[in-house]
Amino acid sequence: MIKLKNLFKYYDNKFQRTFVLKDVSLTINEGEFVSIMGPSGAGKSTLLNIIGMLDEPNEGEYFFLDQPAHQIKEKKKVEFHRNYVGFIFQAFHLIEEMTVYENIETPLIYKGVKSKDRKAMVADMLDRFNMVAKKDLFPAQLSGGQQQMVGIARAIVGKPKLLLADEPTGNLHSEQGKQIMALLKKLNEEEKITIIQVTHNEEFANYGKRIIRITDGLVESDERTTPPTP
Amino acid sequence: MLFQFVIRSLRKRPLLNFIKVLGLALGLCGILFITLFLKNELSFDSFHTNSQRIYRFTTTHPNFLNNSHFARLYNSEIIPELTDKFSEIENYVRLSPMRSGVIQFEKNFYTINEAFICDSTFFDLFNAKLIIGEKKSVLNSPGAMVVSESFAKKVFGTQNPVGNTLSLPAGQFYAERTDFTIKGVMKDFPHNSHFHPELITTPAKGSISNWAWTYLLLTENANTENIISEFTDFVAEKENQPVDQVKTKAHLQKLTDIHLHSNKLREIESNGNTTNLIVLGLAALILLLISLSNYASLNLGMAGFKAKFIAVTRILGSNKQMSLLYFAIESFIIILSSVLLTIALAFPINAFIRNNFNITLLHDNWLLVFITVIIFCTLGIFAGLLPVLKKQLENINPKTSRSLSTSGKIEVSKGIVIAQYTFAIVLIVAVLIISRQTQYALNQSMGAREDNIICFESVHANIQQDFEIFKAELLKHKSIESVSAMMEPPGGEANDMFAFELEGYQPQNDQQYDRIGVFPCDYSFAELFQLEFLSGQNFNKNNLDHEGSGEYLINESALPILNYSSAKEIIGKDFKLISPVPGIEIPSGKIIGVVKDFHLSNIKKKVGPMVLFKRDRLWLINFVIAYNKDMRQEALADIQQVWTEMFPAYPLNYDHVSSMYNKVYKTELLQSKMLSIFTFISLFICSMGLLGLSLLVSQQKIKEIGIRKVNGAKISEIMTLLNKDIIKWVAIAFVIATPLAYFAMHKWLENFAYKTELSWWVFALAGVLALVIALLTVSFQSWKAATRNPVEALRYE
Repeated sequence: MIKLKNLFKYYDNKFQRTFVLKDVSLTINEGEFVSIMGPSGAGKSTLLNIIGMLDEPNEGEYFFLDQPAHQIKEKKKVEFHRNYVGFIFQAFHLIEEMTVYENIETPLIYKGVKSKDRKAMVADMLDRFNMVAKKDLFPAQLSGGQQQMVGIARAIVGKPKLLLADEPTGNLHSEQGKQIMALLKKLNEEEKITIIQVTHNEEFANYGKRIIRITDGLVESDERTTPPTP
Repeated sequence: MLFQFVIRSLRKRPLLNFIKVLGLALGLCGILFITLFLKNELSFDSFHTNSQRIYRFTTTHPNFLNNSHFARLYNSEIIPELTDKFSEIENYVRLSPMRSGVIQFEKNFYTINEAFICDSTFFDLFNAKLIIGEKKSVLNSPGAMVVSESFAKKVFGTQNPVGNTLSLPAGQFYAERTDFTIKGVMKDFPHNSHFHPELITTPAKGSISNWAWTYLLLTENANTENIISEFTDFVAEKENQPVDQVKTKAHLQKLTDIHLHSNKLREIESNGNTTNLIVLGLAALILLLISLSNYASLNLGMAGFKAKFIAVTRILGSNKQMSLLYFAIESFIIILSSVLLTIALAFPINAFIRNNFNITLLHDNWLLVFITVIIFCTLGIFAGLLPVLKKQLENINPKTSRSLSTSGKIEVSKGIVIAQYTFAIVLIVAVLIISRQTQYALNQSMGAREDNIICFESVHANIQQDFEIFKAELLKHKSIESVSAMMEPPGGEANDMFAFELEGYQPQNDQQYDRIGVFPCDYSFAELFQLEFLSGQNFNKNNLDHEGSGEYLINESALPILNYSSAKEIIGKDFKLISPVPGIEIPSGKIIGVVKDFHLSNIKKKVGPMVLFKRDRLWLINFVIAYNKDMRQEALADIQQVWTEMFPAYPLNYDHVSSMYNKVYKTELLQSKMLSIFTFISLFICSMGLLGLSLLVSQQKIKEIGIRKVNGAKISEIMTLLNKDIIKWVAIAFVIATPLAYFAMHKWLENFAYKTELSWWVFALAGVLALVIALLTVSFQSWKAATRNPVEALRYE
């Protein structure tokens, strides 16, 4: 599904070039649950943003579903965001002016789903995440865990093939974090959504099936995980 | 769906959004009314159907009063013959002034300010709605009078005036009493007419001759150049002179040009001028720029708040159009609110202007209002969108991740703030200079500085005869200090020139005599107006002069004309004025004093050389009375008592000299008043904008301030940190504004022959004022931010 070939990302300062990613090559298949780990500043988030087409590599090739994504046009990117990818963020990034219901509904509107269908799909999400009672609240009125639940609901309501999560548990305490990770795992197993998450947490990284470790822009290791003890 | 998010986000920051709306609304109000006022000024006299074909005819002659250009024609009797001879002249009307000052109905006298004896063709040239009477026939008989609606109401109340007889009492310009019969009533002339007759009438007998304002209706496509050049031939034939000897020159001025482009002698009413329009137009432009840039800068500042919204929705799959639409809706709501606010403000303002200046601006101008509002709104929406577009949409893609992480970043556009303050400083300088110049003008005007002189303007001939008695009666009262009389009223024009003879003076250019400006007055004139003597002494306290013992005062400007450089030397020289009026002799005598130039007329004109002489019961048309300042009430009561006892039939009608001069400078006064208002609005908008920006900046710096305070920064240091930029910006604005303002005001002052200096302190004051206002505005917010408990600030996140 995702194929990265010799990816470079760097910033030019006055006298030197600072590399964020150096010669990264990766292949991620459909249905995988990948955790990207590494110290701060290693380039994890940059890699994730490139995969999510929020950022562009300076060199190298990126194929998404065998399409050359590094050549993709602006308009196609919108299509990509609408139909294939969902994002989850550390800081949730819910829209503060919108209620829970409206936040979840937004991607569907952009996707052009009809109002009637939208209602059913959002209702389904609220139901699944046990948030029916909170649908008219604004993000500021929710706890961090609840906000992230809304964030996930929003990310998956459009039935994306790929879910990108940038430290989804970073702003949560461990109990909430566990709930979120369990939810992601369930989504991966039951709905076959491909998930790539960036995390600092060794325990949460193990929820994935594969861990890629990055240091200073280089892929250090790439290995299968031992399934966590139930 | 977007709509309600916009509303929610607007309601989240009510103060900032209110500032936007208020700034726009005030700007729009100002611009709207300036536009309407300009339209009103530019549309003068265009309501006449044939306004494009009507011209005012005037002539000049090098030997006639020094080539002065009068607005009226001195030999208007030639006009019917002229019209016959010239095929391009279709029709004409002459307006000869009724100069009695009063008109009599039954036993009572009524003041008339503007009345004309005219040709029966009046309504063929000028459109006026007749309430009673037929345009074609109403003026067809001799002595047929049409009165204006308001005059009819004043004299007859609700009764029908038609058929009544009004009489001009016997007076100085009319040997005998003349009767006129009212045949019709017309609507008052609108404000945008260069004259507003209270009544017009055909001559009771004979036809119009001598001084009259003359208007010609030309045929379509008539060539004014032809008429002007052929007029020379006409004069040559009439006076039996060779064509190249004719020195009389004809001038034709378009009716619609009179209000703004005519500044001749003896205009019917004082006219406007283009400088005024340019000043106001510039003010409107500045106001437009300030109010739009204010909106743009606040939007730019607040765009940070939207960065996250835009970024997140982009990730969720929205496209550029959607973001654009969001901002368009927001802009639209803001603009719509400000238009509604403007409408709410416009009606009271309109009523205020109507009551104070008698101009109805809104009425009948809906299309112009609509267009102005639409243009402003379009510009407003763009001003609101452009900075946001620039910042948010161009850069959104490669930096999406960044705009998420640094959401809430506020950028203050210092260029806009500097530009706003530059304009504000220019406006402040303009207001200061214009009010200073106006004040200077009023202070220079004779008798206007101390508000204790009143004037009976153009009193009737019968009253003039009793001046000496009137004066003696008044002076019996303790409250009255001095009484005098003069030929021209304060603020009037002294245009008359007499030939003169001076001991040892040779006329120039082989003429028999040279001419000099004259000013007949009562002997106490110099005393009443406290004229300063450069040498010599005042008149004897007696108006009667005998041949050989006549007394003359001259003003300072007359010295060089008479070939003297010292005021002392001319004292005692033999002098004689030769009266151009048959039957009136002015006794010869000596020059007994030289007074400093005094300003009777507008200080736009240079004071001309002038000879003052006293006459008994001749040309003493305007009475002036100075009273004791501390006994104002008593003095006015005394004057009223004396007047009603002596002249019971005549209306008691006087003005304070200061208010007469206020009328002379009404354009400048209006200008400074309007400009003050617009400057105030501009400053207010600037401050509001700055307040908004400082709100944003201090919000953004909450954390920084907290950290600095925890590390030991004093409140004053935090204030400096927050205010430093503002001081810098205002300083830059000051540097840019000073030459601009200097240049503009220098140009404006060129209109005046006598002017105040462009002192440096005016500029300094404007700069300091702008700085103080800016600092006060910002400090309010800075103080709040600086005194905040740092723990509170750092608790966030």
